[in-house]
Amino acid sequence: MSKTLTVEGDLATVDTRANLTTQGSVTTPSLIVPAGMKKIDKILCAAAADGLAVGSAVFILRIGGSSVARGEQTFVISASGTIAAQAGSDTAPQVGQLFVLDDADVDVSPSDSLTIAGEMAGSDNGTGRMVCTLVFA
Amino acid sequence: MSKLYRSREGEATAVDTKTQLTTLGSETAPGPLLVPAGAKNLVGLLVAAMENMGAATSFSAFVRLEGPGLPGGPEAIAVSAGGCTVITGGNSNLLSKFIPLNIPVVSANEILVFGEMAGTDVGQVSFGVTLIFQQ
Repeated sequence: MSKTLTVEGDLATVDTRANLTTQGSVTTPSLIVPAGMKKIDKILCAAAADGLAVGSAVFILRIGGSSVARGEQTFVISASGTIAAQAGSDTAPQVGQLFVLDDADVDVSPSDSLTIAGEMAGSDNGTGRMVCTLVFA
Repeated sequence: MSKLYRSREGEATAVDTKTQLTTLGSETAPGPLLVPAGAKNLVGLLVAAMENMGAATSFSAFVRLEGPGLPGGPEAIAVSAGGCTVITGGNSNLLSKFIPLNIPVVSANEILVFGEMAGTDVGQVSFGVTLIFQQ
C-alpha cells in the first residue's frame, strides 16, 4: 500500500531555504508521515523559475524533520538559466518537467513530522516555484 | 538497506577550470562532504547543470569526484552540453539526471565534488550534484 503527500511553494529569493507548506487550495496540509509507512519510496518534484532575472541556478529539495531517520536528505532536482531578451521580443518559456526518483528508499518514522523545503541556488533566476510529492511505503 | 543523499552546488565561471562545489544554497559553508557512517557504496548521482547563455558559443560539462572517501581514486562523469547562437532571449530548464554507479567508498572520509565547463566559455554554468550512498 502507498500513501502520498504533496506540497508546493514559491522560491522567491536565491540561496534562501523556503519551506513548502501549502497545497494550492489547501493552505495547511498535514506534514505527518501516514501511520504504518516506514519509507519514502518515490519522490516526484518539479521546479522552474519565471526567468525575470538573468543567471543560472539549480533547484534543491530538502526533506527533513523529526521523522527522517538519519537527518535531512538533499536532492538536486533541476537547473535553469536565463539571458535577457532583445528589446521588443519575447523569450521562450521555461518548462519545469517532472523529476521522478524511483526507489528513493529513505527511512522515516510513521506518525511523525516532516519538513519539506526547496531552494533556488546559484544566481537569481526570478521567482521559482516548486511542487513535490512524496510516495510512502 | 536505505539510501542517504548528500548534495553540493556551485558555479563554474571559467572554461577548462576545475571548480569545487562547496555550497548548498542557503548553506554557504556546509563543510566537507563526508561519506556517511556505515555507507559502503556510492550507488548513484543526481546531476543537473545549466548555462547562463552569456556568450554565443557552446560548451560541455562534467563533474569530478575526488578525495580519500574514494579508495579507487578519482572519477570524472559527463553531465551536459549546450550552446546558443545569440546572447539574447535564452530561457531554459533541465531535469536532474540519475546516473547509476557502483563505487566503493570509505565512511567518515571526504569526497570532493567539482564541476567543470569545457569547450569554450559560455559565461557561467551552475552545477548541482547529489551523491547517493547505500550501506
